[in-house]
Amino acid sequence: MFSVNVGASLGDISVATSDEGGLSSDQLAEMARRKIIYVSQDAPPAVREQAQVFSERVEQVVKHYVDLARGEERATICQILRNAGHKDIAEYVRRL
Amino acid sequence: MAITQAMCSSFKQELLVGTHNFTNGSGNTFKLALYAIGGGGKSGTTATLGAATTAFTTTGEVANSGSYASGGGALTNVTPTLSGTTALTDFADLSFTTATITARGALIHNSSASNKAVAVLDFGSNKSSSSGTFTIQFPTADASNAIIRIA
Repeated sequence: MFSVNVGASLGDISVATSDEGGLSSDQLAEMARRKIIYVSQDAPPAVREQAQVFSERVEQVVKHYVDLARGEERATICQILRNAGHKDIAEYVRRL
Repeated sequence: MAITQAMCSSFKQELLVGTHNFTNGSGNTFKLALYAIGGGGKSGTTATLGAATTAFTTTGEVANSGSYASGGGALTNVTPTLSGTTALTDFADLSFTTATITARGALIHNSSASNKAVAVLDFGSNKSSSSGTFTIQFPTADASNAIIRIA
């Protein structure tokens, strides 16, 4: 008699939502952190604690650069609008 | 009337007859459709999804809003790989923008193969966006967490 056991499993997804606009930098940073670091619940407590601290640090760094990217993107849009003669809209975008 | 997270039984059988191809680029097109319970679906319908689901259905599907249209959004496949003895596949995260949606779960289905069901996802609670973004993030693509794993 010969048999092979094969198990198929499904992972857990996360959902992020927003109102009146796109996702916040905090939400995006948290999503990035989840993709970068996974802390196993089976890990020894000391390792888990260290990984948790590292994970929080990664999230802070990612958030900083997401904020920066948003600002730079707005600056580029602002300049394009200004060059096209839409100074009022450019100013509005700059203040967002 | 409920949404129960499960890999669809029909999908397991279809894997063995080569119905589904998750290869990026040359593979099938998979979609993710959103569903509501408590009469929150289009025309007041409620979703009943689980392991016995065999194909996409509009019953209980959320109404079109923003970039969400019936059938759901197309997923970007990540070509299956092996991690040790576990085969796994993944999808890129999916966002619906400028959308007003309340959903309790989702169905991944193969739109290249008569919308055959792959997996039912339960969000655990209602998730809502109002004139905003509704994003589904898939787990890390490794042997312990990937969205679809065969060990």
